[in-house]
Amino acid sequence: MAKARALDKRRRSIANIRKITKTMELVSTAQFRRAMERAVAAGDYAERLARLVADLSNSGLEGASPLLAKRESKKRAILLVLTANRGMCGGYNSGVLRTATARLDELRAEYGEVELDVSGKRGISFLKYRSYEIARGFERFDHKPTYDQVLEIADDYLDRYATGEVDRIDVAYCKFGSLSKQFPVAETLLPFSETRDDSKGVSERSRTEYEFLPSPESVLEEVVPNAFRVNMFKRFLDAAVGEQIARMTAMKAATDNADSMISTLTATYNRARQSQITNEIIEVVSGASALK
Amino acid sequence: MRCVAITPEKTVVDQEVEFIVLPLYDGEFGIGENRAPVVGRLGAGEMRLTLKGGSVERWWVEGGFVEVVDNATTLLANRVVELSSLTVEGAKEELRKALSRPSNTPELSKSKEGAVQRARTRLRYAEKIASAK
Repeated sequence: MAKARALDKRRRSIANIRKITKTMELVSTAQFRRAMERAVAAGDYAERLARLVADLSNSGLEGASPLLAKRESKKRAILLVLTANRGMCGGYNSGVLRTATARLDELRAEYGEVELDVSGKRGISFLKYRSYEIARGFERFDHKPTYDQVLEIADDYLDRYATGEVDRIDVAYCKFGSLSKQFPVAETLLPFSETRDDSKGVSERSRTEYEFLPSPESVLEEVVPNAFRVNMFKRFLDAAVGEQIARMTAMKAATDNADSMISTLTATYNRARQSQITNEIIEVVSGASALK
Repeated sequence: MRCVAITPEKTVVDQEVEFIVLPLYDGEFGIGENRAPVVGRLGAGEMRLTLKGGSVERWWVEGGFVEVVDNATTLLANRVVELSSLTVEGAKEELRKALSRPSNTPELSKSKEGAVQRARTRLRYAEKIASAK
């Protein structure tokens, strides 16, 4: 049996680790709540926008925006990968990266060139290590991506798509299903026709006759890029929520694990200490009896 | 009449108002009680909300849409901030960024033009506020 002192040392170091994992769990719980609120707000916006699009299509307007048209050319595609800046979140990053590399291979087979944009230190270092060429790496998105930050990237994509430099934009991230269910997915952001299924859930409203200012076409011209921006922003927020949930669960498991290790170690330590004491008594008694 | 202004980040305004003046794509637009349903494209500019007591709230609005239906006005805007929070430095920075955008194709030059116009309007309002202070 190991020395009691060594066991005690191990127990103390595990207790210290437990403190850290417990704190991280609490921090990510707080951040999760904030991230969730933001995701709900963006979802609200996206839903209203989808209703507006439904109203527009009710007024008999179809596919006037170049973003809605299908592209024949397949020169270049972009894959945006959203990972975390930090680890300690279980299988979150590896799940997203597995989906991303699979989608990357598919895109490479289909398009001439594929540009890889990665957000998050974890993803950047992983893909660099696997010697993928990264066009741009973003490290500025943490648990709280702002709309302005996302807008910068989104507008750049829109411009490049509009000029025909890029023919397809995909994103790989962790989709938020429910509190207990997030899963890594790869989705197409542009061209829009391939993402149409998203708006199926929009319920039929009673038809209101709208007046469009200045004209339905002009409104549509603004709706489509806005929908793209919000879609992209929502994906960033989903990723942030998913990261916090993954970290919460991972850290909860780590804390529980540390608890059970501490209790086993305590039991072993007590036994070791007891047997040490017994040994010492036996030594003293046998020493004394030898002197008789 | 209810006025709700939503950005992708949060709901900024949600209150009862008497009268609304909005910056549309091609000029200002006033909305009173019982306005017929309308969907409009927002531009960049000042939104004035006349509250029940007659006091006026001023907001800076940038891009998006407005929908008026059943005495409820909903703005889906890219940016809604209090007008007084605009700064001359921030607006100048925005203008500098907009001016440095490339414009070598028709599409790019169109989006640059829009950005520059937005930034100029913003600078104008920012200067107006600064001189009023």
